[in-house]
This record gives sequence, structure tokens and C-alpha cells, in this order.
Amino acid sequence: MVLGVALLVWGLLFVYVLRLERRIRDLEKR
Amino acid sequence: MIARVALFVWIVAWLALGFLWAPLVPVLDATTRVFYFHFPAAMVTCIALAWSMLHSALYLKRRDFVHDDHAAASAELGLLFCLVATISGSLWAKAMWGAYWNWDPRETSIFFLLLIYSAYLALRGSIDDPARRARLSAIYSCIAFVTVPLLIFIVPRIYFSLHPDPLFNTRGKPDMDGRIMACAGALVLGFTALFFWLLSLRVRLGRLERRRELALETRV
Repeated sequence: MVLGVALLVWGLLFVYVLRLERRIRDLEKR
Repeated sequence: MIARVALFVWIVAWLALGFLWAPLVPVLDATTRVFYFHFPAAMVTCIALAWSMLHSALYLKRRDFVHDDHAAASAELGLLFCLVATISGSLWAKAMWGAYWNWDPRETSIFFLLLIYSAYLALRGSIDDPARRARLSAIYSCIAFVTVPLLIFIVPRIYFSLHPDPLFNTRGKPDMDGRIMACAGALVLGFTALFFWLLSLRVRLGRLERRRELALETRV
């Protein structure tokens, strides 16, 4: 249960940071 | 992209191993698992604040704003990881010592560390001129870092503390099961890689902000 929550939180954080990185790359290209 | 996916898999794998393969410490029981968040977060706090001090010193030497960006970003992230270590430690304290906060020497010293680096961010926020802000906060960061080894490694060992010290102890060898140590060590590596990834993003964001400010100034 705790492991599931930890992995879910890590997964969400990972996807969020990936999206953030893509957004920064788009801004740098402008 | 491969490095990012590797980091994701690394942390998932070692967390799973920590929960399913590494044994529980008899006294700590299920709360042993807090260690896999608490210890790496505390170690990354030290790395981040050392990185901030290093780039502050480099800024004072070279006056290059890239170093200021690194110093500010790593102090912010250091504070974030310090909060993770404090909150996870507090949850652990509730389970083991009966209260979330006991003003134990370790808790008191981490509280001072949070205050010192919150003041660093407040200082940065209070100065408008970028060159002055960078210079003053670099001086502050260099002085503030002196307190980090003192507050994290020395003060809690001078006074009696309930906090265990199974890794860095006076007995000269780690006092912990090898499997727990392997998982914790691997997660320190994983958290450190995560820190440097977040740091690179924050530095790039800082550069973009400066570029925008410059564009606005030239338009005016």
C-alpha cells in the first residue's frame, strides 16, 4: 500500500518534471 | 531521454527492493521504510547547499550570472530536500518517540538550517538590482554554509540525542544490515541525479527570466 503510494507520487512527479522540461525547451526555442 | 527513463527505473527498482527485499529493523518495524526517503533527502540537502556555496564563491571570483543562477537554484532545492527530510523525520519521530516534534538536538539543528536558508531566499527577494543581489547573497551563502556541517554532523553528536547514528558513528563501522545500506546508498545516488536534473531546469528557467527582463528593459 505504502509502496504503491510512493511509486504513484514518484511517477506523477516524474511526468510533471518531464512536461516542465518540454515547456522550457519550447520557450528557449522562441 | 534515456537518462531520464533510467533514473525513473532506478528509483522505482530500489524503492521496491527497499520495501520488498531489505529486512525491517526489529525496533523500528515498518517505520524502517521511512529511512529510504529520509536519509537520501538529508544527504542531497548537504550536496545542494555545498553546490550553492561553491557557485557563490565562483560568482564572487568571476562575476558571471550563471554561477548566481546555480547558487540560487541549488539553495532553493536544498531547502526543498531539507523539508522532505524534516517532514519524514517528524513522521518517524511521531511513530518512535510519540510526538511529531521534540526539540531533540537533531530537530533543533535542522530547524535552524531551515531558518538560515529561508533567510537566504528572503534576502534574494528583497534586492532588486541583479548585481547587488548576486554579490550579497553569494557572501551570505558562503558564510551560511559554515553552519551546515556544524548543524548536521557536529551539534547533534555533542549533545545527547534520541536520533540514531547507524552510518556515521563513533564505532567506526556502519551499524546496519547490508541490504538496507545498499538500498539507501542507491537511493542517495538516485535522489542526487534527480537534484541535478531539477537544478538544470531551474537554471535554464532563471536564464529565460533574465532574457525576458532584458527584452522588457530594451523595449522601455
